[in-house]
Amino acid sequence: MSIRIEQVTKVYQGVPVVNDVSIEIQSGEFFVLLGPSGSGKSTLLRALAGLSHIDHGRLSLHGRDVTELPARERGVGLVFQHYALFRHMTVADNIEFALRVRRMRAAERRRRRQELLQLVALEGYDDRYPSQLSGGQQQRVAVARALAHEPAVLLLDEPFGALDAKIRIELRETVRAVQRRIGMTTILVTHDQEEAFALADRIGVMQMGRLLEIGTPEDLYRHPATRFVARFLGAANLFLGEVSQHGLHLGAATLTPERVTPVAQSGAEAVLVVRPEDIEVAPSDGAPQSRPFAAGFVRALTFAGHQQHVSIELAEQSGVQPATGNGHDGSGMTVDALRSAADQAAVPLTVGAGVKLGVRRMHALPTPISSFHLMATDGEEASSLAESALLMQLVRSMQARVIRHDDPAQRNERMDAGICVLPLHANTPTALRAAVANGARRILCIPRSAPLPLRMLIHAGDTARRSDLLALVSSVMRHLPVATTAVTVQRAEASRSEMLEAQRLLLDTRADLRGAHGLDLRGERFIGDRTAWLSQLSTQSDPVLVVMGLPGRMSELSASLPRDHAPLFTSASHATVLFAIDPVS
Amino acid sequence: MNVDDAESLAKPRRHQILPGFGLTMGYTITYLSLLVLIPLAAAFVNAGKLPLGQWLHVLLAPRVLAAFRLSITASLIAALVNSVFGLLIAWVLVRYEFPGRRLLDALVDLPFALPTAVAGIALTTLYAPNGWIGRFLEPLGIQVAFTPLGVIVALAFIGLPFVVRTLQPVLADLDEDLERAAETLGARPVLVFRRIIFPALLPALITGTAMAFSRALGEYGSVIFIAGNIPMVSEIVPLVIMTKLEQFQYVEAAVVAVFMLLLSFAMMFVINGAQLALQRRHQAKQ
Repeated sequence: MSIRIEQVTKVYQGVPVVNDVSIEIQSGEFFVLLGPSGSGKSTLLRALAGLSHIDHGRLSLHGRDVTELPARERGVGLVFQHYALFRHMTVADNIEFALRVRRMRAAERRRRRQELLQLVALEGYDDRYPSQLSGGQQQRVAVARALAHEPAVLLLDEPFGALDAKIRIELRETVRAVQRRIGMTTILVTHDQEEAFALADRIGVMQMGRLLEIGTPEDLYRHPATRFVARFLGAANLFLGEVSQHGLHLGAATLTPERVTPVAQSGAEAVLVVRPEDIEVAPSDGAPQSRPFAAGFVRALTFAGHQQHVSIELAEQSGVQPATGNGHDGSGMTVDALRSAADQAAVPLTVGAGVKLGVRRMHALPTPISSFHLMATDGEEASSLAESALLMQLVRSMQARVIRHDDPAQRNERMDAGICVLPLHANTPTALRAAVANGARRILCIPRSAPLPLRMLIHAGDTARRSDLLALVSSVMRHLPVATTAVTVQRAEASRSEMLEAQRLLLDTRADLRGAHGLDLRGERFIGDRTAWLSQLSTQSDPVLVVMGLPGRMSELSASLPRDHAPLFTSASHATVLFAIDPVS
Repeated sequence: MNVDDAESLAKPRRHQILPGFGLTMGYTITYLSLLVLIPLAAAFVNAGKLPLGQWLHVLLAPRVLAAFRLSITASLIAALVNSVFGLLIAWVLVRYEFPGRRLLDALVDLPFALPTAVAGIALTTLYAPNGWIGRFLEPLGIQVAFTPLGVIVALAFIGLPFVVRTLQPVLADLDEDLERAAETLGARPVLVFRRIIFPALLPALITGTAMAFSRALGEYGSVIFIAGNIPMVSEIVPLVIMTKLEQFQYVEAAVVAVFMLLLSFAMMFVINGAQLALQRRHQAKQ
C-alpha cells in the first residue's frame, strides 16, 4: 500500500471541509480526486503533502506514518496549478533546488537534471528563465522539479487548469507517460471529468468534504451509487422507476440490471440512470430495436461534431416519472439522447417530429432515497417543511424529487416509496402511527425551523440486517456535510460480554459501511437507557440528526414507535429524527 | 510581456475613446514646467552667478562638508534600519490576521501625514535627556537628542512608510505556493526565506530603501528640533542652505542646493539602474 488515508477530517470554521475520508492507494497507481470546487479535494491533497494540518485521522506513505511530519520530511513531489516556479532561478536551478537542499554534489545534480529534462522532453532548456517558457513548458519544468528528489508519491493539484485546451491534452499525455515510465504512485486533483477519465486508474469523487465513491472510470460511469456522481461524470437522465425480481422497470420497458443493487427488494421505487447514448430514438411509425419505454417529440437538435444531441419532450401519459424536480408526473419532461453519425443517417430527425424512445441499458442507484413525500396536514405546514434547512440542502445536493401530499384525505396511497417527511411537534405520534400503518418505512421528522444538522447520530439498534439502514445512512452522509457517529446505548451495569457485544456491533457497522459504501464513521457509547439517551438528545442545543434503525413487525411498530420515542416529540426538542424500519414478516 | 502589451506596441496610434491628447499634454507640460522644471532651472541659473572656481570654495568649507557627511551617513543608516524593520512590519501586516491590524496599518502612514515639525517636537520631547525615553538612556551614556544619533532617529521615523508601502503590495502578490513548493522540496524555513522570498522582494526592498534615503536627504522639519544644529556636529545640509539664506548669501545657498540636486539625480540613476539590472537578471527578456 503506497498511500493510506485513514479517517481524515479537517474542520474549517466549524464545518468539516474534509469529512472522515479514507482511501488506500496502491503502488504505481494513478489516482484522481475528482470534485467540484470547494469539495475538499485540494485540501485533502495539501494535507497529504503536509501543507495543512488535519484535525483527525492518519496519513501514511509507504507504510510510514507521516501525520505529524512537516512537509519537507514527507518526501512528496507537489505540482501546483500555477506552476509555482521560482522565477528568479533558471530551469536548471529550479530542478536542482531539492538536490541542493540535500547537498548533492554538482556533477550528480547535473546528471539528475539532464535525466529529468529528458523525461519531460525539455532538453537544452537548462539556462532559460521560467518567464521565457510557455505555460505548458513551465508546468513540465514543475513536474521535473517535483520528481527531482525521488519522492515517495507525486501529487498534482489541478496541474492543467491554467493551460488552454490543446496544450492541456498534450501535457496530460506527457504526465501519464512519465508516470507509467517511472511507476510513481500519483494523486491528481481535478474538477474536469474528462481529464479524470483520461488519466485515472481509479477515481475518487468528492463533494462537500465527503469521498462519495471510488472506482475505475468505467465502473463509476456505468454504475454510480449517487445522483451526484451519475451527473458529475457525464450527462444522465434520471427517472423514478421500479425494481423487482424481473429487473428494472421504466415505463413499459423492463431490463435486467448489469448489477444488482442493495435496494432490489421487490416492487421498490428506485432512481434509474440512463445515459443519453443509451437512449434510442426511433421514428413514430417505427419501433426501437431496444426496449421501448416512452413516446414524445423532438424539441431541439444540437450539432456536436461527430455526435448529435437530441432533446425530446415526453408525451403526456407516458407513464415515465422524472427523479428530480417538484413536478407531479412526467408530462413535459425532457429526455436527452446522444446519437452517433450512423444513427443520424439511419433515422434523420427534424425539430417537432414525433419519436418513440427505446432504452438500451439502465442502472438503478442503490439509494433508498428515491423521492421525498411531504405529509403535512395543510399547505402552510407543507411549505414550512419544504423550506426547512435540512430538506432544502438534501434536495439541492441530491437533486431528488419532492412530492407534496397536502390533503390528508388522499393519504391512502402506498407510502413505502422514498422518504416520508413529517413535521415534528406534539401531534407527530398520531401521524407516525398512521404513516407506519400505511407502510411507510423511512420517516423523517423535522422540527419547525430546525437549523441544518452538524452531526448525525446513528442508532443501529440490534438490527441483524444492517444493509438497508446503511444504504440510507450512506445516502444522507454523501449529501450532508455532517460528522457521523454510530452510537450504542448501554446500561451502566452492563456485563463485560454485553459491552464486548456492543463494541463488536459498532465495529461491524463501521466495517459494513466501509465495505459497501466506502464511507467512514466514528463510534460512541452512551451509558444509560434509551429513554435517557433520547431525552438528552432532545434537549441538546446543537442541531443533530438522529437515525434510528428499528427492526420489527410493521403492525407492532405502528404502536410502539411513537411510544418508545416520546422524549423526541416534546415541544422543546430540536433533534431531527429519521426512522428506518426494517420490517420483519 | 503579455499579448495585450505586444499589440499596443505594434499599433502605437490606436484609436482612443476619449479625445484630447493635445490639450491634456499641453497642461501636463505647463504644470510640470511651473512646478518642477523652472524652479530647478532657476537654482542652476542662480548658482551659475558664481564662477566655478568659487564653487569648490563654498562646498569644501569645513562646515558644509561636515553637514554633507552627516546628511549622507545619517540618511543611509536610517534607510538601512528601515529596510530591516520595514520588511518586518510589512511582513506582519500582510501575512497575519490579528485584531487591530487595520489600525497598525494606518499607523504606518502617520509619518506621511504628520506635519514634520510636530514629529520633530514629539521626538525631541521623548529623547531629550529629561524626556520619557531619554532619561533612561542618559545613565547608559547614550544621548540621542542634539547628536547625530537624534538625526538618525528623526530620519528613520520619516522614512519608514516608504519601505513598508513599497513592500506591501509585492509581498501580498507573492504566491504563497512558492513557499509551499520550496517546503515540499525539503527546504527549511530559513532557506525558504533566503532563497525564495528574499530574492523576490529584493527589487521592491531596494526601491523602498532608496526612496527612504532620498526623502531623508532632503528632510528638514523633523530634524532641526532633535538635532540641536550644532555646527560640525549635528547640522544637516538643508539647514546649511537655510542658514546661508538667512545670511542673504543667496548664491552660495544656490550652489549647495544645486549640489544636493545633483546628488539626488545621481541617486535616482543608481536606483533605476540597479532595478533594471535586477529585473534583467530575474526575468530575462523574451
